Amino acid sequence: MASISPRRPQLTFEELLQVRWLLGGALTLLALWTVFYMDIEAWTLMGLATAVTVAVLVWPTLPSHLPGWVHTAAFPAIVAFFAADLWLYTEVLPAMVRLDVLLLLYRNVGYRQRRDDLQVVVLGLFLIVVAGVLTVSLAFAAQILIYTGIALAFLLTLTLSEAAATTRPPVSAPPAGPPAWATQVQWRQLFRRVTAVADWRVVLTGGLLFVGVVLISALLFLAIPRFQLENSMFLDRLISKRSKSGFSDTIRIGEVTDIQQDTSVALSVDVTDRAQIPAAPYWRMLVLDQYDNGTFKFSAGLRRELSGPRTTSVLRGEAKPRLGEPVFWTFYFESGVSRYLPLLGHFEELRFREAQNFRFATTLGVLELREEPVTMTAYRVEGFNPGPTLPDPVFAQRWRNRERPATTYWTPQTRTLTGETDRATLTRLMREAAGERAVPATEFANRAKAWLRQRHDYTLSPRIPPGDGDPLVRWMASREAGHCELFAGSFVLLARSAGFPARVATGFRGGTWNAYSNNFTIRNSDAHAWAEIFDEVSGSWLRADPLEAPTNARAEETRGEASLAARMDRSWSARLDSLRVFWYRRIVNFDQRSQADTMKALKTATEDSGRRARLALEDTMRRLKEWFSSPWDAKRLAGICAFVAAIAGMHWVWREFGRGYWRRMRTPRRGTRAPDPIRDEAGRWLARLAEAELAATESRDLAVREIGVGAPPVIGDLQRLRFGSRATWPPPERVFRAARQALRESRRRAKVRR
Amino acid sequence: MPTLPGTVLIGLSFGIGTAAYNSSSNILFITLSLLLACLILSGVLSWLNLRRVTWRLQFAPPLRVGHDATVALELRNGKSFLPTYGLWFEFAARDLATTKTHEAPESTITGRGLDVRAMLAQAEKAEQRRRLPLVGRLDPQGEGRVEWVLKPEKRGRMRVGLVSVGSLFPFGFLRKEIGTELLSEAIVWPAPIEYRRMGVATARRVAGGERVARAGLGGDLFALRRYAVGDSHRLIHWKASARTGQLLVRQLAAESAEGYSLWLRTDAGMWPHPEQFEILVSFVATLAEDLFRTGRLLGVAIDGEPPVAVRRVHDLELFLDKLAVLQPAAEAIAPEGVADDGSKPHAVARRHVMTFAPNGALGVAAYVDGEQAALT
Repeated sequence: MASISPRRPQLTFEELLQVRWLLGGALTLLALWTVFYMDIEAWTLMGLATAVTVAVLVWPTLPSHLPGWVHTAAFPAIVAFFAADLWLYTEVLPAMVRLDVLLLLYRNVGYRQRRDDLQVVVLGLFLIVVAGVLTVSLAFAAQILIYTGIALAFLLTLTLSEAAATTRPPVSAPPAGPPAWATQVQWRQLFRRVTAVADWRVVLTGGLLFVGVVLISALLFLAIPRFQLENSMFLDRLISKRSKSGFSDTIRIGEVTDIQQDTSVALSVDVTDRAQIPAAPYWRMLVLDQYDNGTFKFSAGLRRELSGPRTTSVLRGEAKPRLGEPVFWTFYFESGVSRYLPLLGHFEELRFREAQNFRFATTLGVLELREEPVTMTAYRVEGFNPGPTLPDPVFAQRWRNRERPATTYWTPQTRTLTGETDRATLTRLMREAAGERAVPATEFANRAKAWLRQRHDYTLSPRIPPGDGDPLVRWMASREAGHCELFAGSFVLLARSAGFPARVATGFRGGTWNAYSNNFTIRNSDAHAWAEIFDEVSGSWLRADPLEAPTNARAEETRGEASLAARMDRSWSARLDSLRVFWYRRIVNFDQRSQADTMKALKTATEDSGRRARLALEDTMRRLKEWFSSPWDAKRLAGICAFVAAIAGMHWVWREFGRGYWRRMRTPRRGTRAPDPIRDEAGRWLARLAEAELAATESRDLAVREIGVGAPPVIGDLQRLRFGSRATWPPPERVFRAARQALRESRRRAKVRR
Repeated sequence: MPTLPGTVLIGLSFGIGTAAYNSSSNILFITLSLLLACLILSGVLSWLNLRRVTWRLQFAPPLRVGHDATVALELRNGKSFLPTYGLWFEFAARDLATTKTHEAPESTITGRGLDVRAMLAQAEKAEQRRRLPLVGRLDPQGEGRVEWVLKPEKRGRMRVGLVSVGSLFPFGFLRKEIGTELLSEAIVWPAPIEYRRMGVATARRVAGGERVARAGLGGDLFALRRYAVGDSHRLIHWKASARTGQLLVRQLAAESAEGYSLWLRTDAGMWPHPEQFEILVSFVATLAEDLFRTGRLLGVAIDGEPPVAVRRVHDLELFLDKLAVLQPAAEAIAPEGVADDGSKPHAVARRHVMTFAPNGALGVAAYVDGEQAALT
């Protein structure tokens, strides 16, 4: 049996159970909603579970209407569901997610015991962690933080309600109807009760402690030792991948433009040296050489160029190491864009954050992941050689030997149209564009680009004239506006017609420079298609983008701050993107090297701070010394006096107003019995005066008598402050001043007596 | 000590940590960090919860077998603004008579399993334990009280204490227990017992018998004594108080001078059955109280000890304290009130001495001057 003297109201046992029910429902909903961004077929279950959870939250008596056989049959039914799910879909992780959702649903259609509540916490945590691992999304950070906060509050309520339950009489048999707390639920009233019970200082402390948890977990995250075990993710193997990408190895005319409708971020790039950023970066992903009736494909011949597959985290490139500080490009490639990774050109080394299974063609500059990534893919490239040319010595050698009987694997890159009419039209148009005489590839490219730009405008909603024959030829022959694919495809056909190997390249062009996080942000709306033409002279593929502004051609090599200024993005979306980049940089991409870098940075910062503090101290001491050693005059003396007066004034203001305000702030509200600082202060003064009187008089009795009878009036005032009604209080400040004087007087009398 | 949720949390942390190292997934490392931070927070909050909480054990001995006694624990939360939640208090009451301190402790290694189990069971039986929670919140600077209603089962000395203070606060991950040395000893008086009076001895009046002055509820002044809390104000002797400068009250003499002296013999030969001996002790205690309440208890004596006059409640309480720890004497005492040195106790020398003897297998009979006066 226990009793306490409550000052603030306390939640009753039933109210604690109501809060527990509410928080359990909130946890369930929060966990269920991870299905939104997990890309797992559990939407129906999730919707059902959400509806049921909301319903039992609003009407907590609902579970009591459930017939008993439901609870009896629930476990076998759930097991059967899981087994059938596994058997039908043969995917472990989605089946586990659906099982988890089902269990959460079941836990919410019955009144939970302590064990069930703990199950809800663990099941919810499983869903959130799986969602986080699969998506590596910034939403995970927000969700896990909110979930942690609610789960801690839930466990706290659980502990308190269980402690309260031990004092209640045991129930011999479970009641048939709903429990008492469920029949009394009035959420608004409960909210008012919780508000009344909460003390702002306790709530503030709780908030600070939660911030402390976040900080401690951040420190632990930084400090936990990391070992590179070279294993890839395990969860993503348990789920089949479904491509959402528009950047596949087959692209119909118009598909890239469809991707442009999407303004979400596709790629974020960190660069260690801004000066290396090209003025017009082309993030090249795939080359498409085989053309047939409006569709470009990555031909089987080119595919044979891909080596592998292999599983590793490091890939050596073709670029030669350069002198000077190495430049690192860190790519954060969002899921659902493509399994072909964007690159700027040849590189020295590419390193994945975790081992990947991929194929790579050095000559094509194409890197193909085995699976469509369902999470953000991070990789770091060292020593990029960004530029409009892509050396391809292998193809150059074969092109030089093209007259010899050889394999025809490169044929699609030179193959023109098969229809006679189309071919004749194409030849006519090619001559119109480039002239009758044969010209080098660079000159041809310039002429063909200029011709296309002069003949067609740019639009995202092109119109291809109806008729027979190849759609590209029809569009080329018309004067209709077109999009990048039409321009690039037309250029390729023109070049091939002129005898130059050519192909379409897809990827992204440009991007914006995030002014907050200092990184490149490339959106899906930056998707682009351009052409590449082979230059026999240099043995390289030249980038030929008919939509590239001619003036930009001269500025192709322009890099650095000047090029970034035009791309600077300071919008609100850039702020949000900076959060995402921070998440990728500091959290998702954090590894052993980052840990070492962080420690070094910490050490450097500590040393710098110490050095700066020491210098500042030395500087202050030197100035102080100079100030003292300089001649004294009236002005300086006046300054000192003013300083002293200011200090005294501040002290006076504090004593007159600030201290009183502080005491009033600490004074409890009416009707409560919390400690009263004014009463406490009065008690302290009474004790001090009694001690002083005792020292000043010969006996305690005399002191008591003097305090009690012949004492100065301040004693009465102090006693009134200490014990009296608040309405009869004299001004406390005046009384305390008088008490101070009385204390001095007593001490003086004690000295005299001695 | 981790609880079940704590064990689950630690298991989860191990699992997630293994997965994190296996996959190098920072998402899992974040989750692991959060779980570990929650464990740290749990420890900090648990420490804060118990910080500056003081407790004081309070109960008023003596206790009596079969009667409820309240053991109270007064709590105080000395924190400035943080309340304290979810504490529990483990109380224990142990019969000290069952602890055989004179015997050398037997090692559990050499002891037979059955013996050890029996000893443990006996020790457990001799101890009453109860865990009581602090319901609700102990406000900052607030006070609370936890009460344990204890019902002693055996007379003797009893040690009552607060064994530990524990808490699952805040999240139930860890069970925090603090051992305490808050102990207090108490004497458990014998249980009152029902008995039957035989009218013989009580009805007889002895003319000219010995008169013993003692305090009672009569009309004559017996003595003056200092005022004690609880005394009736009507008994204050104002004149004497004014003369001496301190409050004095009148003590009245008993109405009648007749009374009885109890003489209890405890030799084991006379009381071979422990149950009968317990009944004897309870009978004597009950008689002593009843006689004192009616003002007819003159004195008490146990075996060969000199008799003690019972004039005040304190004298009666001392006698009951002795009865509480009384054990059968191994050696036979001198017959019929004759001590070993040959002298007769005063109680025996007087008349109206009540002695006790077995009455059947379990009964006890009281005799006054050889006549049966009461039976259990």
